[in-house]
Amino acid sequence: MKDRSSHEILPDDKPVPFFPDHLMTEFWVAMGFLGLAIIIGAIGMFVPIGLQDPADPLNTPLHVKPEWYFLFLYQMLKVVPDYVFFGQIEGRVLVTVGTIVGLLGLMLLPFFDKRDDTKRAWRIRAVLSAVVVIIIIALTIWGEVS
Amino acid sequence: MRLASKFLITGTAILILSGVLLLVTYSHGQAYQSTASRGQSFDEVSVEIPPAKLEPCLHCHIQGEHKNLWTPTLRWLTFGSFGLVFLFGFYQSTSIWIQRKPFKPLTTRFAEWVEERYQIAKPLNDILKKPVPSFARWWWYCLGGITFFLFVIQGTTGILLAFYYKPTAAEAYASIQFIENEVYFGAAIRAIHHWSANGMIVMAVAHMIRVFIMGAYKPPRELNWVSGVILLVLTLAFGFTGYLLPWDQRAFWASTVGTEIAGAVPAVGNLVLIFLRDGWGVTEATLGRFFGLHVLVIPIATVVSMLLHFMMIRRLGVKRPL
Repeated sequence: MKDRSSHEILPDDKPVPFFPDHLMTEFWVAMGFLGLAIIIGAIGMFVPIGLQDPADPLNTPLHVKPEWYFLFLYQMLKVVPDYVFFGQIEGRVLVTVGTIVGLLGLMLLPFFDKRDDTKRAWRIRAVLSAVVVIIIIALTIWGEVS
Repeated sequence: MRLASKFLITGTAILILSGVLLLVTYSHGQAYQSTASRGQSFDEVSVEIPPAKLEPCLHCHIQGEHKNLWTPTLRWLTFGSFGLVFLFGFYQSTSIWIQRKPFKPLTTRFAEWVEERYQIAKPLNDILKKPVPSFARWWWYCLGGITFFLFVIQGTTGILLAFYYKPTAAEAYASIQFIENEVYFGAAIRAIHHWSANGMIVMAVAHMIRVFIMGAYKPPRELNWVSGVILLVLTLAFGFTGYLLPWDQRAFWASTVGTEIAGAVPAVGNLVLIFLRDGWGVTEATLGRFFGLHVLVIPIATVVSMLLHFMMIRRLGVKRPL
């Protein structure tokens, strides 16, 4: 496994000291985002986030939606048929279990993929993540408009 | 030597103090003297006309006009600091022939005092001067740092919001209204908290995609990837629990369907649902539970995971791109 020594710093890397060089880079990026936050705050003074009507368990609104980052999951649950695989598995169960298994698989990914890295593997992973991101974005937009 | 410097400082201090006393008593004495010379007692004056208008105290009244206390205060600050600078320079330049040693500033002396006790200079220097490869300063390596910075913003604004927020069904909605309408910059703080929460999720996912494409999760960095996925789940949990807290229709029904998704898991779904909602329905108990998770449990878990995440980056460094 060649990559085991990848944390050693070679003269080829043109190393800079963590402080001040690297930390100052991060500091200026952080200052940029702080400026962005202050601009958002200034806009928020005039256009507040606001509230809808107070919560009322007896009055269900027409379009009930979760937060946008769970919307793709919710949309999948909505559009999946009640029974899949010739009526053997419930659709909802498939989606939820699939999500959990997917998340666990993602967590354990480095224990399955230990091969040395190549440019080709980079390209495959880039395409793979682009496809997944596009699917999730499509599902989110679908959930937003439906 | 010490005795001489003590005498010098004490003598200068006494001289300056007596000078100030003399000045103050002189100006006040003048004011009282001229009041007395008109043959009016103090009581009569204070009933008829305010004494300040008759014979103004020269500290706050400049050319007969009343400037409030700021004018003398500013004057004292300006000339007083000039005096302090002069005194300090005098002490600094004389100390070399009083102590026979070059002058050492107070900050240096304090740093040496701390260093004698903590002996932290060497490890701190090692930490700060650790070499970083220059490719680690490309912009796509900043995504994780941005996520961390947004977490710091979330912590700060979250503490400010928690000062005014009340996690009960009766008061939650009204307390958010109070934050937006009454609290100074309350609407701004809430807007920053709202938008940087969304930004944190976006940045965390972007960081994850970057690490995935570059293959930085491969050995020996497995545990870094695992702690990163845990951090992503915690970030989503932050968003999920925080969304209910305003206790309006959107929050209530989003949490209802959100917990329903969790309830659809076979076997353990109902248990998870009851744990999250603290009962079968979304009630005040759910609000309290989500608040506790949002401000105590998840932040502590996130900080611990972040420490692990960062320590491993320290040890193993950033993966060299192909």
